[in-house]
Amino acid sequence: MTEAAIDVGADTNGSPHEEFLEFPGGRVHLLRGGAGKPVLFLHAAGGAGQWHEFHALLAQQFEVIAPDHPGFGGSDELADVEGIDDLVFHYLDLIERLGLERPHVVGASFGGWIAAELAVARPDVIGSLVLLGPAGLRLPDHPVTDLFLLTPEQVVDVLFQDPAKASVLFPAAAPSVDDILAAYRDMTALARFAWFPFVSDPKLERRLHRIAAPTLVACPADDKVIPVAHGKRYAELIPDARYEELGGCGHAMYFERPEAFAQITADFLAARTASAAEPSGASR
Amino acid sequence: MKFVFFHLMPYPYLPDDFDENHPSPSLTFPSKYFDRQAGNRLYHRYLDELEYAETVGFDGIAVNEHHQSAYGLMPSPNIMAAALARRTERAKIMVLGNAIGVRGNPLRVAEEIAMLDHLSNGRVVSGFVRGIGWEYFAHSINPTRSRERFNEAHDLIIKAWTSDEPFQWVSPNYEYRYVNLWPRTVQEPHPPIYIPGAGSSETMKFVAEHGYTYMSVYAPTSVVRRWFDGYRQAADELQVEADPEKIAFSVPIYVADTDEAAHREGRRHVEWLFHRGLKQSFAQVYPPGYMSPGSMRGLLLSGMKPYTETSYEELLEGGYVVVGSPDSVAARLQQLQQQLGFGQLNGLFSIGDISHEETKRSMELFSSKVMPALRPLGTAQNTVAGS
Repeated sequence: MTEAAIDVGADTNGSPHEEFLEFPGGRVHLLRGGAGKPVLFLHAAGGAGQWHEFHALLAQQFEVIAPDHPGFGGSDELADVEGIDDLVFHYLDLIERLGLERPHVVGASFGGWIAAELAVARPDVIGSLVLLGPAGLRLPDHPVTDLFLLTPEQVVDVLFQDPAKASVLFPAAAPSVDDILAAYRDMTALARFAWFPFVSDPKLERRLHRIAAPTLVACPADDKVIPVAHGKRYAELIPDARYEELGGCGHAMYFERPEAFAQITADFLAARTASAAEPSGASR
Repeated sequence: MKFVFFHLMPYPYLPDDFDENHPSPSLTFPSKYFDRQAGNRLYHRYLDELEYAETVGFDGIAVNEHHQSAYGLMPSPNIMAAALARRTERAKIMVLGNAIGVRGNPLRVAEEIAMLDHLSNGRVVSGFVRGIGWEYFAHSINPTRSRERFNEAHDLIIKAWTSDEPFQWVSPNYEYRYVNLWPRTVQEPHPPIYIPGAGSSETMKFVAEHGYTYMSVYAPTSVVRRWFDGYRQAADELQVEADPEKIAFSVPIYVADTDEAAHREGRRHVEWLFHRGLKQSFAQVYPPGYMSPGSMRGLLLSGMKPYTETSYEELLEGGYVVVGSPDSVAARLQQLQQQLGFGQLNGLFSIGDISHEETKRSMELFSSKVMPALRPLGTAQNTVAGS
C-alpha cells in the first residue's frame, strides 16, 4: 500500500516507534513495539497515545500496533469518521494500509466494541479476537455507567477497584489547563460515537454469530462501569468464545492489573498463534 | 431603552437537605420533590406576573426553555407564550428562546412560532438557544453535534418562514422532503430573532450579519463588556449599524423601598438563584463537544468562578445582579448602561424563592421610579460611551 507512514520514533530498549498515517481529513497517531505476530490493540476511552506496562508486556511476545482512534490522543478528528460503522471501515483501511495479514485484534472497553464490530463485518480479516471488558451491547437490564456525567473524583471511584492505583491513568494531582483540554478532547471523541445510542450498537447482538475468529472475552470481576453481564453475553453469542473473569480489578483493567490482563491475553494469543501453525510476523 | 420582564419559572420549594444531599436541581433531582398542588399554583402565579408586567409598562414579557429541572419549569416555552398571547395586548411575547439544538424536530418550532404570531397578532419575538449542557443528557441529543444542529435548524426555520413555495431540506442532521409551512407568520418576513451570546466570536458575527438581537447571559460586567464590544466590532467590520436596542443586557433586579430592606429581603432570593438554582457540575454544563476547544480554553483561562462559589457581595459588585432602593437601582443601571451600551434591559424580577407580593412590589417600584430615569438611554439617537 502507500508509504504514508512517517516514522518519528526511536527503537531503544523496547520503547515503541511513534508513527503517523495520513488519512483523508487528517492523520492517525500510532505506537508500534515488539516483534512477532502482529497484534492490533484498540484502546479504551482513556489512555490513548500512551505505551503502558500492559503494552510493553504484550510486546515481549508480539508486535503490538496501537493506533489512537480518530479524535483521541495524537490522532486528528477525521470528519468522515462519525459513527461506529465508519470506525469499522477506518480500521479495515488501517489494516490494509499497514499490510497486516489477519492480525490478532485486542480491544478494551470502547475498543472492544470496535473490535467486535470489525470481527462481525469482516470475519476473514482478523486472526484471533480478545475483548477486554467490552462495551457495545445494549442491555437495558445491565446499564452502563454514564461516565460523561461523573465528576473527576467519581470517575476514579468507578474505574478502579483500588483507587490508590488511579495515578497510572490520572498522574497529575492538579491537572493543568492542557490536561483538562486533552481529557475533554478524548471525551468529545468518545461522545461522537457513543452518546446515542449510548455506547452501543443495538444491532450488534444479532450479528455476533458471524464472528469466526477464536475469541476470548475477559472481564474485571469488579467492573462498576460495564457490568460483567455484557462480557458474558458476548461470550454466549460469539461461537466457541471463552469467558474469563479477573478478580481484584475494576473497569480500568490494564491500568489496574496490567500483568494479569497482559498474561491472559498473551497466553490466549500465543496458543492460537501456535495452533494456527503460521509463520510469525508474516506481514513484515 | 426597552424593558423586558423575563421569567424563569423556578420551583423554589427545595427539601431542607438540598444543599447537603443534592448536587443539582437539574437532570437528576427527583421529581418526587415537585409537589403537584404547589406546582400547579406556581404556574398560575407566574403567568399572572407576566401579565401584570404588561400592565405596569414593560415592553416585552419573556419566557424560556429548560428541561428536567427545578431551575425552570418551562420545557415548552411556546405553551407559556400561547397562554399569554390572548391575555395581553401590547407587550411583545418573547420566547427566549426555543432550544433548537436540543429539539428533535425544528420544523415544529417554525410551525409553533408562526401560530403564536397569529395568537398574539404579530407580537412574537423568537429567540433561538442551543440549550444548556444538561439538556443534552436529558433528551439524549449528542452534544458534539450541538453547534451544527443549531445552525442547520436556524437555517431551516428561516427558510420555512420565508419561502413561498414547498421545498426540500437536506442537511447532515435533518431531512425533509416537503417543507411548506401553514400558517405563514403575521410579521413579514418573520418575527424578530434573539440570540444569546457567551463569548463566541462566531456567534457575534452571526448575530450582526443577520441583524438579530444579541443578549447576554448572567456574567460579571467586565465579561459582558467584552461580549458586547465584540458584537459591536463584528457589526462595524460588516458595516452594519449596531443599534443599541439590539443589545440586550440580562440581569436579575430586586427593588424595595430602601437599600436596607432590599438587601435584607433580596439576599436570600439571589442566593437561591445562584447557589441552588444554578448549582451544577462542570460535566452537566459542558458535556463533551458542547464547547469548541477554543471556547473551552477561554473558559478555563477566564478564571470565572462557579456561581455557587460567588458570594452575594461579589454578585452585586460584579454586576451579576442589581438590588436596592429605586434610586440606587436606577443609578446602578445607569452606570452599567454607560459601561455596556445596551438599549434593552432583560430583567428577572421573580428571583429564586421570592414571594408573589415581593415580586409585584419590586415590579411596581421599578416601573414607577426606575424606568423613567432609564427610558431615554440606549436609543439609536442617544448613543453612549460604551459604543
